[in-house]
Parts: sequence; C-alpha cells; structure tokens
Amino acid sequence: MAIRAARSWISGIVFLGGVAVVVSVSAVAFRDMHRDRPIYPGPGVTRVGMLSAYLGDLAGTGLDTEVYYLEGQTPGATVLVLGGTHPNEPAAFLAAVLLVENAVVERGRLIVVPRANRSGFTCTDPGEGHPQVYEIPTPGGPREFTFGSRATNPVHQWPDPVVYVNRLGQQLTGSEVRNLNRSYPGSPTGYPTEQLGHAITELIRAESPALSIDLHEASPEYPVINAIVAHPRALGLAVEAAMLLELDGMNISVEVSPVGLRGLSHREWGDNTDTLALLLETSNPAQGRLRGRTDAALVLTGQDKFYVRAGERNALYVRFTDRGWPLEERVGRHLQALVSLVEVYSAQHRQTPLVMQGVPQLRELRRDGLGAVLQPPR
Amino acid sequence: MIGWVYRLLVGLLVILVTWDLLREKSLRRQAVAAMVLVPLVLRLLMIK
Repeated sequence: MAIRAARSWISGIVFLGGVAVVVSVSAVAFRDMHRDRPIYPGPGVTRVGMLSAYLGDLAGTGLDTEVYYLEGQTPGATVLVLGGTHPNEPAAFLAAVLLVENAVVERGRLIVVPRANRSGFTCTDPGEGHPQVYEIPTPGGPREFTFGSRATNPVHQWPDPVVYVNRLGQQLTGSEVRNLNRSYPGSPTGYPTEQLGHAITELIRAESPALSIDLHEASPEYPVINAIVAHPRALGLAVEAAMLLELDGMNISVEVSPVGLRGLSHREWGDNTDTLALLLETSNPAQGRLRGRTDAALVLTGQDKFYVRAGERNALYVRFTDRGWPLEERVGRHLQALVSLVEVYSAQHRQTPLVMQGVPQLRELRRDGLGAVLQPPR
Repeated sequence: MIGWVYRLLVGLLVILVTWDLLREKSLRRQAVAAMVLVPLVLRLLMIK
C-alpha cells in the first residue's frame, strides 16, 4: 500500500515537471507577443509622442501607443493616418510603418499611429490558427512583425458583456466591446477600448487634421473591399481620388459611410470632429472564412487555392487568381490611395496643401517588394 | 480589485488540481489533471 502511494507521488511529481515545461515554453511565447517589434523612424519624423498625451488615463496601460509626427518646414494641411486598428490586417499596419520609415513632409504635417490598437498586436484571435509572427526579408536581414488580433487583448480588457451596446446605442455581439472600430467617438470613462477611441478622437480635435484616414483590410468575400469608405463630407474628395486611381490602372470603389452603423471611424470622426473621415480597404485572404492552410506564407503571398476556386465561381468581390493578393500589392494600394487623396485635397486647397516625398508607391512595391523600402533591422 | 478576486479563484483551482494530481492513484487521471493544470497556470500568469 505504502509502495503504491509512493509511486503515485513520484508519477505526480513527474507530471508536475511536464506541466512546468509546457507552461515555461508557452509563457516564453506569450511574453514574446508583448514585445513591440521596432519601427525605425525615418528622416521625416520630427517627433514621437504617445497617445496618452490626449488622454492621461491611457499612460502605462497596454493600450497606450506611439504617435509619429512628420512636420514640414512650412505650414500646410495636417493629415492623420491610422494603421493597426485591427492588428490582423497587416497591410494596414505596414503601410503606416512605411510612412514612418520613408515619408518626408515638405509642407504641412503628417501624423501616423501605426499601432492604433497596440493591445491587439499582443495576441491572436482564438480559433483562427493565425501565425504569431511573420517575417519580411530586407537586404540587412529579416524584419519580424506580430500578426495580431482584430480586438483588444482580453488580458487588457475583460470580461466581455453578452451584448455590447456602444455609446451611440448600436447593439453588437459582446466581443465587439474590444473592437476599436466600433467604439468611436469613445468615452474617457468607458471600457479601455472606448477610452482608446476617445483618445484618438481627442487627438483629432487637438491637432485638427484636414483628412483622417483609417487603414484596414477585409476578406475577399466581404462586399466592401478594395474601396474607399467616405463620410458624406469627404465623398467628393474620395470620388475624385478614386477617378485618379482608376486612370492610373488601380481599380477601387467608393462607398458612403452608412448612417445606421454607429461607432465606426468613417462615421464618428466625421460627425464628431471637423475632419474629413475616410477608411481604406484591401483584400486579405488570411482573414477570410474560405481560406485553407493559414500560416505566415499566406500572410505574405495572399495565395490560397480555395479562394482561387471561389473566384472561379464568382463568389468573391475581388478578382482572385493563382497570383493571390500579395502583401506588397495591398500595402501599395493603401499608399497609392493615400497619396491620391492628399493630392486631390492639396489641389483643392492650394494655400494649405500637404506636400510630401518618399512615400513608396504601388509600382515600386510590385517591382522591388516590401523589403526594399523597409529599413533593415538594427 | 476584480483582478485579485480572479487570481484568488484561479489560484485556488490550481492548488486543488495540483493536490488531486499528487494524490490520484491512476496514471490516466494524473495525466488528465496535468492537462487541466497547464491552462490554469497560464491563465493565472496572464491576469493583469
């Protein structure tokens, strides 16, 4: 009897050792997701601040995030660009990173928030099987970035309600309480994600950007894809920019921000501030429901045989061939659209334009890839 | 405050499952307890 009891204690301790090993390996991977992958400010960055400057309560939390200011020598228009509202939309984040690392403003001011929901970069969405990281080769070595979650990490905001009713009365499923792009205009005393939304709205009020552009991606079967979504006050600007892009060979549609869908950037920034609010979408098969194997290669190449088959059956809102939707194509579309919007605005406001150089364009990215315009790791 | 309540609850579960794991006679049941313990400890470490 005593021998049996001793055996169970010994096997129990062995199992505990196994638990310690599994927990240690998992904890290292978990902690690594909380490490910000570096963004290297380029020659155009004149100042780096934190979003908590616009809402002090964010300081020291997992939702505070860097704000990059690229200021020209002479006054002009201010433009705000948000990447990483949804950290599982890598082209939106990388387009903002490329602005920080390459753009030089001659006139006016560009404000870039590449990790709008920084908390979302520290986890992946449950059940999606997304890779935690992906790498982009550069001449100086690979740059690693985290592939995040659509929403704030539950570690930073918990628990979710069963039904989330946002500040404007929009009823949403409970997990949307952690979706930054359902939380605008936000609240200084609300859920942490609503506080984040409020800080961004306060940034817009304080810095008065003429244009505010929220970068996104969507699955190929989502109707609003390869599109500019514009607040009604920004509709004319969006249509003109889309015409320029079409003339340049880039197909893009324009959608007007729906009145009945509250809490989204393109609606609430426009309704609650003076800015012209816009949102850009590209096609990201790694987000879609029809995708097959989900790994870092899918994130980078955007190639998926199941989406090719869906495309052959006209089940998608974008053309989908064996070429897929590579990451550089999607980043290039965002930057090309951004430049067109700025050009149209500047042509309409000759006294206060935004003049900038060095923004990588679609053709350049198609030809040379993202590695050619990302700074090498230091 | 709610974080500490959550820590207390999960910590209690960790202690009880560890106790079960050490006292259990059947290897299969010990393995089950070990598998339950892994997410509990990870959850305990993640609470902020």
